[in-house]
Amino acid sequence: MAAVFRNRLAATGAAVLLVLAVVAVCAPWLAPYDPLAVNLPDALLPPSPAHWLGTDPLGRDVLSRLIWGTRISLLIGFIAVGVAVVVGTAVGLLAGYAGGRLDAALMRLVDTMLAFPSIFLLLAVIAILEPNIYNIMAVIGLTSWMGVARLVRAEILSLKERDFVLAARALGASPVRLMTRHLLPNAIGPVLVAATLGVGGAILTESVLSYLGLGVQPPTPSWGNILNEGRVALGIAWWLTLTPGLCILVTVLAFNLLGEGIRDGLK
Amino acid sequence: MTAYLLRRLLGLIPVLLGITLISFGVMKLAPGEPTDASLQFNPKASLEARERMERLLGLDQPLHRQYLRWLGRVARLDFDRSFRDGRLVTDQVLERLPVTVTINLAALLLVFGIAVPLGVFAAVRPGGVFDRLTTVLVFIGYSAPGFWLALLAIASFGVTLRWFPVSGLHAIDHEALGLLRRGLDTAWHLVLPVGVMTFVGLAGLSRYARSGMIEVLRQDYIRTARAKGLSERRILFHHGLRNALLPIITILGLALPDLIAGSVVMETIFSIPGMGRLFYDAVMARDQNVVMALVTVGALLTLLGNLLADLAYAYADPRIRVGRR
Repeated sequence: MAAVFRNRLAATGAAVLLVLAVVAVCAPWLAPYDPLAVNLPDALLPPSPAHWLGTDPLGRDVLSRLIWGTRISLLIGFIAVGVAVVVGTAVGLLAGYAGGRLDAALMRLVDTMLAFPSIFLLLAVIAILEPNIYNIMAVIGLTSWMGVARLVRAEILSLKERDFVLAARALGASPVRLMTRHLLPNAIGPVLVAATLGVGGAILTESVLSYLGLGVQPPTPSWGNILNEGRVALGIAWWLTLTPGLCILVTVLAFNLLGEGIRDGLK
Repeated sequence: MTAYLLRRLLGLIPVLLGITLISFGVMKLAPGEPTDASLQFNPKASLEARERMERLLGLDQPLHRQYLRWLGRVARLDFDRSFRDGRLVTDQVLERLPVTVTINLAALLLVFGIAVPLGVFAAVRPGGVFDRLTTVLVFIGYSAPGFWLALLAIASFGVTLRWFPVSGLHAIDHEALGLLRRGLDTAWHLVLPVGVMTFVGLAGLSRYARSGMIEVLRQDYIRTARAKGLSERRILFHHGLRNALLPIITILGLALPDLIAGSVVMETIFSIPGMGRLFYDAVMARDQNVVMALVTVGALLTLLGNLLADLAYAYADPRIRVGRR
């Protein structure tokens, strides 16, 4: 892990994420206003000392909404990736360990899922299920586990021929014990990298869904739906478009930098 | 080459079946029956009428029968009619497909034409000023939401500066223009959407081009070429790039689903009447037949892209088509 933090960019990414985590946890104390308080006379005010980042078309404080949005976006990112990692690891482990027909069948499933342009499947399913944050987390997770499955499978394939695994098998370790005690812990590195990069990806996806109106539903603020609400004032109220996008950019960038850093550190 | 092609095509069959199974499954996930749409608001519709209609649509059959029936129709590219306007879904898709394909091809060509040289020049001196500059840009391009960049482009170049039109494909007086002017008019409308799509696509590809090129420049034959006293230009582009391009072909194929997915967002933002916009409108109107047709077509296009990339790869690299398996 020391090598990871020798990488300055990765350390910067980690620091940014720490700040964001604090913002997400402390949102109720950090936000200067109630993020849901509508105040029509104050609609579309430009940034000022009273409202640092201006107000939206309903007169709500943009900074407060961004702070609360951090919570939603990070939560969705982490849980969606959690789902993807659990499913992907299970599929990859099973396919790599079992081999043969099960492997072939599972990998065809992976190929099939990869063939769908992600947004298509996401939008089709979410429109049917109705958009709420639980459905969004589940559906993003269930459409993004394929990369992890491939990674884990490849690791398992090479690990299961290694001497320590053969030795454990010769000593009579059960398949479950082999998988959970010997194979999985040694395959965790690449999964960690994929998961870190994946959180950034999931946050991007959530913002697209919310922008299209099929993600987090108003009045709950998310970076994506703040952008959606700013669309009507595009060109008049630049602060409504610029700031949520910057939040997404910085967050995703931080996850990408950290992910790449961990990858370099593992080599 | 023929044997390779056959093997690849055979390998696609399970994936094709998988795609139709998932599409069908998603369609069946929807609460309510397709008959609701036409019967719900008709108080005179009796139970008998409903049953008659269900029989007509084959909804009284067991699920696997329904799937096979649907599959049979899909195989003939028949996706039934849109719930919204009653037009054949296939006609609607065919009408929109050329727009989306043209835009994506234009963006793809630009991405390729810009990303590859960027990657090559970054690879010549890894860690140099140019490399670091492009790396930073690439990371930003990779992390920025494409739709946000599009919004910024519309706000700045479109609304504030008024340099480019921000929506649609044509000016109002499009019909009155001559052929050449019409083409220019459309191209003018495409500057912003294609520009944004290109910038978004640039990041990934230039990074692959860079790492591929760095890899190749370490090879013995490059040292040989240097030792022979060839010009740096010839070494880079003749010996280096040709070999570094191989993996990039595959990446292009893999980038296709992202491009198609990107069209949904870009066409929605720029009001371009393509497949992506059709999809978005259909999703919002819960028009299941159109949604399922586009989900299936999107997956098929992706497979086609991957297949073409694999074939191009095999064509360029004899080791693939002869060796292994």
